[in-house]
Amino acid sequence: MHIDQYERYWIIIIAAVLGAFFAALLAGLLIFGVRLPSTPGADYFVNPLALDAEFGAPGLRDMGNGQYTAHIIAQMWSFDLGSDETYKTYFESKNPGTTYTGVDASNQVMRVPAGSRVTFSITSRDVSHGFLIERHNANIQVLPGHIGQITVQFNHAGEYRILCHEYCGRAHQQMHALIVVEEV
Amino acid sequence: MEAAQPTSGRETTFIKFPALSMLESERSLIGIHILVALAALSIGLLMGPFQTFRRSPFVTETLGGGQGIAMPIFSYYYQALTVHGVLNALVFTTFFIVGFSHFVTQRSLQRPLASMSAAWAAFVLMFVGLLLAAFAIITNQANVLFTFYAPLLAHWTFYLGLALVIIGSWVAAAVTFMTYMAWRKDNPGKTVPLAVFAIVANYIMWITASLGVAIEVVTMLLPLSLGIIATTDPQVARILFWFFGHPLVYFWLIPAYVSWYTMLPKQLGVPLFSDSVGRAAFLMLMIFSIPVGVHHLFVDPGISELAKISHSLMTFIVTVPSLLTAFNIGATLERAGRQRGGNMISWVWKQPWSNPLVAAQLCGMLLFIVGGITGIMNASFTLNVALHNTTWVVGHFHMTLAGAVTLTYFGIAYWLVPLIRGRRLFSSKLALAQIYTWFAGMLLFGAGMGRAGIDGATRRTDLGAPGVYISDLWVPWLDLTALGGLVLLISSVLLYVVLVGTWFRSTEPVETEAPIATEGPASSPPALFERWGTWIAIIILSNVIMWGPVLLQGLDFVNGFLVPGQPGAAR
Repeated sequence: MHIDQYERYWIIIIAAVLGAFFAALLAGLLIFGVRLPSTPGADYFVNPLALDAEFGAPGLRDMGNGQYTAHIIAQMWSFDLGSDETYKTYFESKNPGTTYTGVDASNQVMRVPAGSRVTFSITSRDVSHGFLIERHNANIQVLPGHIGQITVQFNHAGEYRILCHEYCGRAHQQMHALIVVEEV
Repeated sequence: MEAAQPTSGRETTFIKFPALSMLESERSLIGIHILVALAALSIGLLMGPFQTFRRSPFVTETLGGGQGIAMPIFSYYYQALTVHGVLNALVFTTFFIVGFSHFVTQRSLQRPLASMSAAWAAFVLMFVGLLLAAFAIITNQANVLFTFYAPLLAHWTFYLGLALVIIGSWVAAAVTFMTYMAWRKDNPGKTVPLAVFAIVANYIMWITASLGVAIEVVTMLLPLSLGIIATTDPQVARILFWFFGHPLVYFWLIPAYVSWYTMLPKQLGVPLFSDSVGRAAFLMLMIFSIPVGVHHLFVDPGISELAKISHSLMTFIVTVPSLLTAFNIGATLERAGRQRGGNMISWVWKQPWSNPLVAAQLCGMLLFIVGGITGIMNASFTLNVALHNTTWVVGHFHMTLAGAVTLTYFGIAYWLVPLIRGRRLFSSKLALAQIYTWFAGMLLFGAGMGRAGIDGATRRTDLGAPGVYISDLWVPWLDLTALGGLVLLISSVLLYVVLVGTWFRSTEPVETEAPIATEGPASSPPALFERWGTWIAIIILSNVIMWGPVLLQGLDFVNGFLVPGQPGAAR
């Protein structure tokens, strides 16, 4: 089979470029510690109709040393962060004298101190949902029956939304929550 | 109408097809496939611009009074989004590809299809399937988008319809295989024309891949929607879907490559640079497009990191045939440009940019460069964690599917529809304007979607509804997509004018021949290339290795399969 001389050079270039890209990926994984969301070993399956253990009481838990765990349940059409604070109470206390009337008034708010490292474990009670934290490279496909887990470092104070990124029915667009990273 | 003239001699099935018209048998069979495809596209693509309007804060607040812009035909965003995905990505493509493949197969091999009745049976299966799925979507009982992830459920007619479309396409593939084998028997030692080689490879890949979604639909979703079973496993459903979902995009792409490899050289008046490397590229696409699908599941919980990394590597490998294509087609274009008086540099613009049939393909190639680069970024799992399910992904696949594939199909339709109708293209100028507005609109749209996605704008979300969250960072980019949408809406109107005009208003006879090559290459490629059995064995083996562990990890009938279905129909 005839292959032109220039085409041979081109094939070598392709191999070199793709090889370099893949080496960069492996470096990200092995040297820089990028991790993909995965189910923690022992709890491979959970029953979405009978969520118990930590998911029986979802929410943030302080593990000391700036380490936290957060167990979250995604459901049509909200994130259960196990928090009493809602958009309504949060925004009304932030802007005294105003009344928050959005349809998302009951969406929950979670507060963590700046510098904390939070390991999120998330599952769904019903259908497929998404979990994405703005500007923090945290992205999980949330499936009923499985736990997605990812660790996020919060360095900068601010408000960051958790967004559902998978279509999950009629009010999917209202499904978001708020993480408030507080100055310490 | 010229009648077919069967010639005597050993090759009794040889037909000399008329250059500027179609045989009656072709006209009806190919015509109906292409017309159904274009009708589906006409409705499906209309949803797109209105989605960009509804998602744009500028349009929603300034023009919509904060209430959002309603979708045409369908009031409900996710219903319109389902229509957009199903009609454009599943119906338009499948009907167009089957019709185009029938046409190219018989014209290249200069013989009739092995069985016209089987070809018609395939069409009827696909069409009944389309009607069933359309019923479910139009009656608002299938708001599940074109990926229909379990346990969100549509009406059972949606799944039965999709299953029939796939089964119909298998019958169509069988017609192509039989025609090819009959030609092979009559022409021992001859090399099959490249176009038919590619179509055979495409159908082998398609049948293998669509087994995944067929199993998902028939064993999981259809019985669940009928109430025969009560629970399912969303992770297994996603694994089976994406076994199919990635090769699906290559099923769309290979016919566009057929046009670039075998028709564009004829339209430019030069030979293809390398037929053999082209064949090698098609074989690589056929083999490597399936064991890569986990790159759609990088952030799924129920799949091991090892599987994700190995599918990432395989995804890099499946870019090789496209990079070979870039060289091969690039070198062919250089030949053509030099023939038109170009030098080392100026061959780039010494192309027939004012010929809509060629310009469509060249614009498609330019968008495909963007699509390819963004695709390699998606395939890098470290970046995918930032980009999964954001509008970035939508920007990416509109460069490939709505760019390279659809633009090339427009280029094909602009010579194929005139042949079907027996009249020349209504207006070459309008067709050219349609191509360039599509190209510009798609670039604006892709840039906006891509940039907003980097800042976390979520895809498949009705950003025009109350209670939605829109980051300030997304706003200018979402508005840019609406500008792209406006340009694409203009392009769509031009498309309707050209197609309807060709059908009803054109009076002149056809002047453009079908750019079909009937001969194999002068120097024959290795005989191994046409040993399909060997390649099929490699396909089976590679997928057992790459997908077997993924599926086994997901399949647990004791602890898994506990998730009840949820009606996705309510609004």
